[in-house]
Amino acid sequence: MGNVIKKLMIGLVVGGALVGLTRALEFPVIFQMMFFAYAMVGAAVFMMLDAPALTPMSGIKSVIALVAFYIVLCTVYISGASMWPQFDPQDEKGKIDKILKPKRAATEQGKAEELIARAKALDEQAKALAVRLKALGGDQATKDQSVGGSGVSSPTTGAAAGDFMKLGEEQWQLQECYNCHKLKGEGGKKRGPELDNIATYLTVDEIKQKILDPKSFMAEGFEKEYEKGKMPDKYKDLMEERDVVALASWLGTFKNTSVNTPRPIKKK
Amino acid sequence: MKTWQRSLVAACALLALFGGVAYAQAPGASPVEFPYMGNRTAVWVVAQLHILFAGFILGAPIFVVISEWLGYRKQDPRYDRLAKEVTKVTVILYSMTALTGGLFIFVLLATYPQFTTWLINHFYLLFAVIYPLLFISETILLYLYFYTWDSWKGEKKARHIALGVLLNLIGTITLFVIDGPTSFMNTPVKAEGISPQEFLATATLWDKVFNYSWIPLNLHRLVGNVTFGGFVAGLIAAYMYMGAKKEEERAYYDWMGFVGNLIGVGALLFLPFMGYLLAYELCDYDASICPYMMADQLSMFFEMQGAMIGLLFLASNYYIWLSMKRIEGVEKVRMTILAPIVMVALPLVMTKVMTDYPVPDPRSLMFLLPLLLAPFTIGRFIPLTVSARTVIKFGFLMVVVGDAIWLTPHGFVPTGAKLVAELELPSDWNFLALMPAKNSAAFTLVFVTVVNYVIYNRAISQGTIVWGKIDFVSQFVLIFLAFTVIWTMGLMGAVRSLLRKYYHTYNLLPDFTAESFTPTLSYSAWWITGITVVFYAIVSFAILVTLRPSDSKGPAPEGSTVPAGAK
Repeated sequence: MGNVIKKLMIGLVVGGALVGLTRALEFPVIFQMMFFAYAMVGAAVFMMLDAPALTPMSGIKSVIALVAFYIVLCTVYISGASMWPQFDPQDEKGKIDKILKPKRAATEQGKAEELIARAKALDEQAKALAVRLKALGGDQATKDQSVGGSGVSSPTTGAAAGDFMKLGEEQWQLQECYNCHKLKGEGGKKRGPELDNIATYLTVDEIKQKILDPKSFMAEGFEKEYEKGKMPDKYKDLMEERDVVALASWLGTFKNTSVNTPRPIKKK
Repeated sequence: MKTWQRSLVAACALLALFGGVAYAQAPGASPVEFPYMGNRTAVWVVAQLHILFAGFILGAPIFVVISEWLGYRKQDPRYDRLAKEVTKVTVILYSMTALTGGLFIFVLLATYPQFTTWLINHFYLLFAVIYPLLFISETILLYLYFYTWDSWKGEKKARHIALGVLLNLIGTITLFVIDGPTSFMNTPVKAEGISPQEFLATATLWDKVFNYSWIPLNLHRLVGNVTFGGFVAGLIAAYMYMGAKKEEERAYYDWMGFVGNLIGVGALLFLPFMGYLLAYELCDYDASICPYMMADQLSMFFEMQGAMIGLLFLASNYYIWLSMKRIEGVEKVRMTILAPIVMVALPLVMTKVMTDYPVPDPRSLMFLLPLLLAPFTIGRFIPLTVSARTVIKFGFLMVVVGDAIWLTPHGFVPTGAKLVAELELPSDWNFLALMPAKNSAAFTLVFVTVVNYVIYNRAISQGTIVWGKIDFVSQFVLIFLAFTVIWTMGLMGAVRSLLRKYYHTYNLLPDFTAESFTPTLSYSAWWITGITVVFYAIVSFAILVTLRPSDSKGPAPEGSTVPAGAK
């Protein structure tokens, strides 16, 4: 017992010192707690080293001890894994649906499903039309149809452009470009250049070329990454033409000269 | 289980394989819906169980044949007995491998018929001809190896060992062959400037097999299987030690536990580097895999992996500590003071060197090799020494420190997108979350373990081992090691599969089902634990069924106090 108390005290002192030190170094509280936990783990390890020998067991006693040991292990591993921050699959599900939608539509099954969906929609429209015809009479219905037809066909240019830019921003999120590139002060792990001033150097067509063929341009200072082919050469296969243009157009609006975006050098 | 029963199981598995191939050709097959767990988890459970059994039956024979050879060379019957007992368990588990393999194909075909058909079509020659032939050859060789054990002894022993080597050769080729489609799903063939679909259409079978991650996966699984086999041998020894009635039996199973642990730890030392190589190749294949693993959805899986590896190293070193305690005269063993100094300095120096000269820059070795070898080269010329006990205690301290470094994340968030200042490492300390620091942590764990074994070796050369007198808690340590290594295999298996994201075959064949998202670590842990428990229950049953009757036979009394020189 003396051994346990002594090691526990040492653990608490070391843990307390680590908390004090990390607090002084402005580590967030969660890291302070983590370092304290490490100190306690260390104390537990040293308690075990000097613990008295376990009395040998046999028969039913050893079986019970084994089962209890397994239950403890299962509980510790499941609860241990559950204590780490958990990724919420809902964050990903919407993204995956959007990314896979055009691919699904391109498959035979997808085409069949789309045809069924269209047929259903047409059927519903026809039913709705029949109800309106019944209620309003033939002349009125014809008039409505012509008005409705011209009204929905031409959205304003500004709204369409806004939607297109939104699509570009959405592609930035869906393709997780932020993992390697910093933009608007967010994302990036220095794997790729910061892009806030990219439009000063590249046109929309050139940005599109870079996305589709990563070897077409090399950012200054990223020679090693360029040589290693760090930017995946897969977007031409994964993205729809419209999505690439939208992403390039959206990036083409970033002209923040206060950010040091490295100069791209044309390679192809 | 009798021979005919085992053969029947193997035949059923082969039937399942061929039947599966035939079913795969049926047009328009629609997937079934697994209740409660869903299709993906159903495949996960069966596949992981199959891989665990397969890992054991491929890993165990490697050290079985080494053990048999050592027994032959040293004329020590304990090695031969160990080899034979592990082979007995292997034979039973071989049937389970075949059974779960057949089940895996059925479940895969029932749940993902279109994808399975697509994969089988791409690897038809491999699935329908090469793999079954290898499987049949391995079956014949394994039974031949087992049933000739008693008849091929004395002068014929060398022939038996050669048969064991051939069995391992076929087993390793089988592993490499089936790794082809597995690694292909992660890193399908690609070429610059050509779409994956176009390239795949012209690719040969060899192109598909020899993909980016094939060699690293082969190496990782090969070393992992030996580690696994070693620790399961330790588990067998622990069970038998606990059930032993006689002193000599306890002595023998104490020795067997030590050898199993030694082999498990010996292979474990290489495992972090094999894992690193695999991760390196995956990132090289597609840089977007790296953040997905290390910074985003799977980052906490790697935190858990760090915790598990830390526990494995702590437990294996604790076992050495307990083993040392039963050596008479261990208190006289001393070691150069350079050993604890290098242990303490290693994480700091290595982080600095690896930051300045990142892997694979060979200059890092110019600095690190002299440091690592200093206790064994310069150390002998320095008169200052410390007791073995002190060195090992320093080692434990550094295992805790090493694991603390390994576990320190960039932020306590499940994805980088949710990172806020309150959960992020201060920028000045960000290096703790980068690869050089993680590599230095791994090296520290490995270095401490190597030093501990060097000390153990010195202890047995200067003292006397009293087999059978080890602290009883050591048996729980052996069981813990086996359980933890299986759990970690399950975790890393899940990670490798999840790296395909929402694809069956990465970037090539999307998974349109509603289950193609990254599950939570907690959900995964439940299933991994369930799989581990099922596997453990079957292995425990196999051990009890195969080895219990040997009690009555009264084995040779080789467990008495053994002079160190006899090892």
